[in-house]
Amino acid sequence: MPVTNEGFEPLIVAFCCNWCSYAGADLAGVSRMSYSSNVRIIRVPCSSRVNPSFIIRAFQRGADGVLVAGCHPGDCHYHSGNFFTRRRLTVLKQMMEYLGIEPERFQVRWISGSEGAKFAMVMNSVAEEIKRLGPNRKLRDVR
Amino acid sequence: MQQKVEGYPLKEYTTKICQIAKEALENREVTAIIGWRKKDFWWQSPVVFLEDPADVQQLVWDPFTIYSPVKFLLDWQESCAAKVGIFVKGCDSRGINRLLQDKRLERERVAVYGVPCGGKADAEKIRASFPSKEIKSVTLIGEELVLAVGEREERVKAEAYLLDKCLSCRHPNPVVYDKLVWEEVSPRQYADESRFARVQAVESLVTEERFAYWQRQFDRCIRCFACRNTCPACNCRVCIFDQAEPRWLGKANDPADTLNYHIIRAFHVAGRCFECGECERICPAGVPLQELNRKLIKGINDAYGDYEAGLDPTDVPPLGTYRGEDPAGFDES
Repeated sequence: MPVTNEGFEPLIVAFCCNWCSYAGADLAGVSRMSYSSNVRIIRVPCSSRVNPSFIIRAFQRGADGVLVAGCHPGDCHYHSGNFFTRRRLTVLKQMMEYLGIEPERFQVRWISGSEGAKFAMVMNSVAEEIKRLGPNRKLRDVR
Repeated sequence: MQQKVEGYPLKEYTTKICQIAKEALENREVTAIIGWRKKDFWWQSPVVFLEDPADVQQLVWDPFTIYSPVKFLLDWQESCAAKVGIFVKGCDSRGINRLLQDKRLERERVAVYGVPCGGKADAEKIRASFPSKEIKSVTLIGEELVLAVGEREERVKAEAYLLDKCLSCRHPNPVVYDKLVWEEVSPRQYADESRFARVQAVESLVTEERFAYWQRQFDRCIRCFACRNTCPACNCRVCIFDQAEPRWLGKANDPADTLNYHIIRAFHVAGRCFECGECERICPAGVPLQELNRKLIKGINDAYGDYEAGLDPTDVPPLGTYRGEDPAGFDES
């Protein structure tokens, strides 16, 4: 019998930068856009606050997907935080794929404070992709 | 005046090392010398600390002076204010640069004696072809390994018996030193091609095969942290894997935690690893850690321009800087 992911509701952890992506989420909210309820938002001061250990730990403790969202390059509230994020997370993403983790599991996006519609769209598409992939078993604690 | 001797004369190296150490200790240039000495068995040449000029005859340079003495500098500096002399191979000298770049070492408190290195022998490879108990000594002459086995002398091509990390070594000559022990040697020609060969082999697998491959490797990991302990790039005062609060790494034998350890360890040395290969060599479980480190180096080189760590202590590692036009490995729309 083929295994299907029907009825599977993923848990997606979204690290959102306070100044852009969180404001984008806020805008999506006040504009009454609906987006996937599988997403749990964690507000961080800047996308460069996201320590790779946060991402791994989220996977270990039951996340099926992790999204890091920050300001567009050049728009960082702290001038250059997201430029560091870009290098760091590019390298981390490469390594996770190299270790056999599906590329869709861990994603990085730039979402500005005025992009409420984009926020809703990204969350829906990420949730859709993770639903298709099924639960995360590779990085999850067995305990 | 240095006597001209052809090739790679280990005996003369040893004599020169002893002489330099003796002079430095007698003239009070340094209060201690860190080098290597011979221990009980033919494959053992561990690191030794000497403070008495009368002891310098213990110092040795042979095919097994593999262990990096660099990390001992950290303990030394914290416990004592005096200057120390240290003998380094090519790879170790890049470790010195690593510590300097990380601002973990005061250059004026170390006298660095560089030893050009012709490669180190792999005891496992030798044991596979010769009876270990009968081997009396092993020495390297040019490109030949000369073994005293029982009563006879065996000469074999060194290449087949060198450590893997030495076969892909790009900098056999020290890159930072106050005094050079001997003339520089020329690097092996095949070093460049073999650099990313193993990484590419793993990359060519599909996602599920790659996962299975790494699970097989990490399955053997006992999390002894030898790879971290020996690594000059892992020089934090408090390592996150030792922290109790917050506890980043669980204590249980959980495959996810082992994967966590290996991702974070490799990531913490990304852009700072200078490919000495000690992590992989020292691993009691044979986890191919260089395949991880080199993957990161390759990724950084491809995306952000070629960078080789440990050559210049004044520049900034690639993950500590940025350019506005950097490419990203994810959807930037």
